[in-house]
Amino acid sequence: MGYDDSDRRDGAAGSAPTAVKFLIAGGFGVGKTTMVAAISEVKPLRTEEYLTVASVGVDDVAGVGDKNTTTVAMDFGRITVSSELVVYLFGTPGQERFWFMWDDLVHGALGAVVIADTRRLASSFGSIDFFENRGIPFVVGVNSFDGRQDRTVPEIREALDLDPQVPVLMGDLRQRSVSRDVLLALVDHLESVHS
Amino acid sequence: MSMSHWADEPLDDDPEDSFVRPYTITHGRTVSTHLELTLITLVVALTPPEEQLGTRGLEPEHRFILEQCRTPVALAEIAARLNLPVAVAKILIGDLITLGTVAARPPVALAVGQRPDIRLLQAVRDGLRRL
Repeated sequence: MGYDDSDRRDGAAGSAPTAVKFLIAGGFGVGKTTMVAAISEVKPLRTEEYLTVASVGVDDVAGVGDKNTTTVAMDFGRITVSSELVVYLFGTPGQERFWFMWDDLVHGALGAVVIADTRRLASSFGSIDFFENRGIPFVVGVNSFDGRQDRTVPEIREALDLDPQVPVLMGDLRQRSVSRDVLLALVDHLESVHS
Repeated sequence: MSMSHWADEPLDDDPEDSFVRPYTITHGRTVSTHLELTLITLVVALTPPEEQLGTRGLEPEHRFILEQCRTPVALAEIAARLNLPVAVAKILIGDLITLGTVAARPPVALAVGQRPDIRLLQAVRDGLRRL
């Protein structure tokens, strides 16, 4: 632990910061990196990982699926909260069926933001299903690049078949204040969902 | 602490050109023996790179890591700055842990379905509000 001054149980090591992460998910091109960029204190960083995945397809003979190594890339940013706490924001890679298997990316995430685009809400279904199944709390951020929305929150909620307690926020995620408010809603949600 | 934004700073050149076969650097190893390492494990040098003994035989990438983590930095960030995949960064950082030249600090442990510590959430909230 050690994210505030009153918590120094682990002696000298307590002076080192510790880190937490949030995931920024959603379909291809919905604005994941845009949100990371809006709120990160550093220019978004990009890193890659090799994932070994069983190939899936109709050609698979029973039990003889090949294993392929695939490379996925993600953009991420950082918010230094204090000398004891650093928050990382990881934009999930575009290829959903791969990052769903990236345990190191998913494991230990405090929560997630699923970004939705009203013109193609279906592209967010995969992320929503994934977080629901994994028990990872999430909020939905509806990106409106032009400040215009052709759908209401209740319509979006219904289209995405969301649990009533999942917060839905709308706004232009390029704006830092909007992206910040989405993350604040996630932190509030983390408190309420477990209480 | 002032909350700066990266767009206030000049942009770096994208180091696209430094392609090296990653597993040459690790001498063929593809998996780190340090399974505890994660993307947000914070890595910090235990002594300044210039004072470190017994670091002969290290690859330039090891030395780069030692330079990068004079102050604590997340493993993912080291991988990004090395322009190498996370798996390779884990192997190299694992080497330095074994040598005793860096220390690794694990992230806040969090089990699925368990509420994060309320003080942790409050600290995150305070940090976000300052943005």
